[in-house]
Amino acid sequence: MKIYRCEVCGFEYDESQGWPDEGIAPGTKWEDIPEDWCCPDCGAAKADFVMVEVSPA
Amino acid sequence: MTAASGVDAASTIAVVGTGVAGTTAALTLRNAGFTGRVVLIGDEPDEPYRRPPLSKDVLRGTMSPGRTRLRAPDTWSQHSIELRTDTRVSGVDAEARRIIFADGTGLDFDRILLATGGLPKVLPQARGVGGVYTLRTLADVSALHGVLAAGSRLLVIGAGLIGSEVAATARDMDCAVTVLEAQPAPLSRVLPREITRVYEELHRASGVDLHTGVDVRELIHEGDQLAATDAGGRVHSADAAVVAVGLDPRTELAEHAGIATGDGIIVDEHFATSAPGVYAAGDVANHPNHVLGGRQRVEHWLNAQEQGAAAARAMLGDRTPYSCVPWSWSDQHGVTMHVCGWPEAAEDLTVRGEPGARDFTAIARRHGRVVGAVGMNRPAELRALRKVVSAAPHAEQAVLADPATELASLASLEVAGTSS
Ligand SMILES: Cc1cc2nc3c(=O)[nH]c(=O)nc-3n(C[C@H](O)[C@H](O)[C@H](O)COP(=O)(O)OP(=O)(O)OC[C@H]3O[C@@H](n4cnc5c(N)ncnc54)[C@H](O)[C@@H]3O)c2cc1C
Ligand SMILES: [Zn+2]
Repeated sequence: MKIYRCEVCGFEYDESQGWPDEGIAPGTKWEDIPEDWCCPDCGAAKADFVMVEVSPA
Repeated sequence: MTAASGVDAASTIAVVGTGVAGTTAALTLRNAGFTGRVVLIGDEPDEPYRRPPLSKDVLRGTMSPGRTRLRAPDTWSQHSIELRTDTRVSGVDAEARRIIFADGTGLDFDRILLATGGLPKVLPQARGVGGVYTLRTLADVSALHGVLAAGSRLLVIGAGLIGSEVAATARDMDCAVTVLEAQPAPLSRVLPREITRVYEELHRASGVDLHTGVDVRELIHEGDQLAATDAGGRVHSADAAVVAVGLDPRTELAEHAGIATGDGIIVDEHFATSAPGVYAAGDVANHPNHVLGGRQRVEHWLNAQEQGAAAARAMLGDRTPYSCVPWSWSDQHGVTMHVCGWPEAAEDLTVRGEPGARDFTAIARRHGRVVGAVGMNRPAELRALRKVVSAAPHAEQAVLADPATELASLASLEVAGTSS
């Protein structure tokens, strides 16, 4: 399970948690999220996210 | 970079402010091919970080402060950006093109960007009173988190975006929360009246004791207790208070340099100030509003970022006028709101969906033109509307209300020029 961070605002998408608010079930892989999905905070497109390593910090 | 830019590999560009406007500008200078010296200076001790989570996850304790870091620590050195944190600029000599630091040393520059942001407005009644907090920096948040984690009864003065978010986070942490707002409704500076009602309900349903139209006359701290007395003589007591009554743009460097200021530092559509070679961007910049006409100062994350990038390109000679539309979001009581454009300027509002169910998009028109939108649970519609607002087309309310209308298509309806 990976975490992806929005380059624009810093919102993080955690695959293990999904995004149930928008019907994205826990465990949903990044690749499986629709291309037209956008950042729940700033509204940036999926393409504006970058992958980050999960860090316990 | 064009020959007209007047900067080259031997030039120095200084950026004051390590917020998102300043850092984005520094990185954009490099991405746009500037090979001269870039010095990025900020008075905060921390490496550049993101402010939006400070009133949300960081305050709640569900995101560590380290997680707010804006870029990997080696980003700056990789881009040959000289990052100087904990460094206060005490003066700018615009004519001699020289920065003076607090320790008396100086730095000569060819161009300078003032991205100095702002500080929480001080409520005169709260000056020097114990138990009163404000929230702008990482340093502020750790103190306030301690207060909330102790389950304190919290008084929030000001129900703008930050006050409302602090209230919501404090409720998440099971604090008893009283909000005192001078305006008749929360968020009334950013939202039309119909939508502020959604927030009144949301706050109350989440257990916030919300009082609007309240004029706080006196704030007294005595024996670990705070007491706020309003104009009607009513006393609201708590263990601590957060004052969130707006932002004062940090214009002092510009003012002392003889640069034009008003509400912020006055810039043109290329972020140039009244002094040659001096630019300003972000929360501090007062810039032309290309849709409504007039001027504005925007206090949002994405705009500070876009302005920093645009100002950097302008410093290198790019003559494209800035035309980004305000965009912001807010997370309160588990609900995310998106705002684009100028919904507060609405003459009429077209609502798609159900505000009561917190699933809606409200589209604001002024003189029949689409000038803003607010939404909950509909980020894609808001994203489409941001482009629409940039074009500000005339559109019938019936068309806007029709669920079958593809909102994005409205952007190409008609491109209106700047008018009022
Ligand atoms: C708690 C909080 C929550 C927010 N949430 C949201 C949100 O959800 N969505 C949204 O869109 N926006 C949000 N915002 C607003 C957003 O964070 C700001 O618009 C943005 O950070 C502004 O960036 P800036 O670079 O213009 O200014 P700043 O981030 O204020 O940066 C200016 C920097 O310049 C430094 N500085 C000033 N003067 C000097 C000097 N003389 N010498 C050296 N350094 C100096 C300051 O210390 C500061 O570090 C929030 C803001 C706060 C405080
Ligand atoms: Zn984002």
